Amino acid sequence: MAVFSAQLTDKIKSLVGRYETKRSAILPILHAIQDEYHWIHEEHINALEKDYEFNRVQVKEVISFYDIYSSTPKKPFQIRFCNNITCHMMGSQQIVDHLKDQCERTGFENCEVTPYPCLGKCDGAPVMLINKTRYENVSLENVDGMVLKHVQTHQKKELR
Amino acid sequence: MTSTASSQKIILAHEGMANSRALSTYKANGGYTALAKALKMQPTQIIDEVKASGLRGRGGAGFPTGLKWSFVPRDITGPKYLLCNNDESEPGTFKDRHICTVSPHMIIEGIIIGAFTVNANKGYIYTRYEFQEEIGYLEVAIKEAYEAGLLGKNILGSGFDFDLDSYVGAGAYICGEETGMISSLEGKKGQPKLKPPFPAVSGYLGRPTVVNNTETLANIPWIINNGAAAFKKFGTEKSPGTKLFSISGPIKRPGVYEVPLGTKFMDFLNHQCGGMLEGKTFKACIPGGASAAVLTAEEMQNVTLDFECLAENGSMLGSGAIMVIDDSQSMTDILKVTMDFFSHESCGQCTPCREGTGWLANILEGIKERHATPKDVDRIYDIAKNMSGKTICALSDAAAGPAMSFIKKYGDEIKHNLGAEHS
Ligand SMILES: Cc1cc2nc3c(=O)[nH]c(=O)nc-3n(C[C@H](O)[C@H](O)[C@H](O)COP(=O)(O)O)c2cc1C
Ligand code: SF4
Ligand code: FES
Repeated sequence: MAVFSAQLTDKIKSLVGRYETKRSAILPILHAIQDEYHWIHEEHINALEKDYEFNRVQVKEVISFYDIYSSTPKKPFQIRFCNNITCHMMGSQQIVDHLKDQCERTGFENCEVTPYPCLGKCDGAPVMLINKTRYENVSLENVDGMVLKHVQTHQKKELR
Repeated sequence: MTSTASSQKIILAHEGMANSRALSTYKANGGYTALAKALKMQPTQIIDEVKASGLRGRGGAGFPTGLKWSFVPRDITGPKYLLCNNDESEPGTFKDRHICTVSPHMIIEGIIIGAFTVNANKGYIYTRYEFQEEIGYLEVAIKEAYEAGLLGKNILGSGFDFDLDSYVGAGAYICGEETGMISSLEGKKGQPKLKPPFPAVSGYLGRPTVVNNTETLANIPWIINNGAAAFKKFGTEKSPGTKLFSISGPIKRPGVYEVPLGTKFMDFLNHQCGGMLEGKTFKACIPGGASAAVLTAEEMQNVTLDFECLAENGSMLGSGAIMVIDDSQSMTDILKVTMDFFSHESCGQCTPCREGTGWLANILEGIKERHATPKDVDRIYDIAKNMSGKTICALSDAAAGPAMSFIKKYGDEIKHNLGAEHS
């Protein structure tokens, strides 16, 4: 069986020729893979080496350098919670601690929370990102609802 | 400053308009007329106009934009590139993001004019991963511009070809540093490179490359349309123009504001931003992103928001990110959050930066866990002092500066919080 879906294969093929050098396609390709699988498996790297002639060392160093990529299994819902200066002042730490507890509970089992640098929307502090969606003015009162609603609306796509 | 001048906008002129992002709205309000004008000018004329405007880079360093463009060699063949630095990862900064939501075409128009000026036929907008919504706005705008013949071959019949693509980062602050961004765009770890050679001579794939901040580029269409003299009517002599400020913290109206450089900080805080939240007292301020030295409320009383005044006060305008701190905050905590950030984001190539930021974060962890001594607090200052001016890029200095300023101004408070046995 092919490692990548037909759709992902088309996407990778178009990215390979999109930039001045093939190597520039590594980041966009890894984004595409991770969008589908939540993390990058060894067999993905093997396929990039075998089918597209990427240098596996170059691919692996990109995966380990950048925070967004993961070479270990990840939950489908990644909550990146800003704990930088402004969000910290506006109470982010308490919410992160709360979410860490929540992630052990029913309803949140597909979620994982990571404290994260400034998300570039400090006027809406505290701010969090769930996968690609940004949530602002998060509080201890509204955070559970925000997460559960996100999971409900997106679970079809993320839990294929 | 007259009231009309202070309320006039260059970058956010279209804020609040319905469908402000659409090409049709942008064009109906004078969009892309500067491009048509520029394509009929000599590149050297454009450089002279931008130089005369006094426009200084809005990415943090304040380097004169016209001068940067003039460094790109004119007489060599082969590809050249223009990169729009839309990485905006400096903690506290959210102004470039705002331009993307209001007028993505203003950024694109500035990019095309810049590319024409330095004769680059390919460009990228490098945006941080976390700005997914804004990446969408930019990509729609790029598509619209292609369909309207504003990008691609023979733009507006000028014979000039230029392709523009969007590139998305992957969560690394260091990719905002221009050579780190170039490494990233080459598909590598985002590690900065030693300068010289500067990107203008040897950048992306070893070719001449201009790297400009998003807000810098968004100023260009206005300057071409209205001229350098009109631009200089805003701001101060050494810091002409308006500037976007991202202001956040416990204040009534946090957000992005466009004001003339040289605006008095306290007026800005109390009038435009509505002042402090009820019950909060202004204690301190980080005026230019996390890399800027902290200033006390007292020091801020007479500060004007421009490059010179903030430098004179031992801090910097930086990216125009103002974080207001109230007196319920622990300065130890804020310094710790800041040093954790730099330690996490150091790319690890240089020992003073990699080790120094790690040590600072560890000492602050010790202070928080209450097993540090007053000597440790003094060590923060000494370590930071030894991190400055010795590294490939400015991240090490960016971490050291704030650390020293916190110890100088709030060292006593930090020592006081060490716990009963040490204070
Ligand atoms: C650690 C570090 C991070 C930086 N981050 C950014 C950034 O996010 N956005 C930006 O425009 N410039 C950033 N810069 C500055 C760039 O290196 C470069 O000076 C700037 O993009 C040039 O554009 P300008 O001349 O238009 O300001 C950073 C610099 C350093 C040292
Ligand atoms: S100063 Fe720090 S971030 Fe910059 S190149 Fe050196 S180690 Fe990397
Ligand atoms: S500090 Fe949290 S979004 Fe900037």
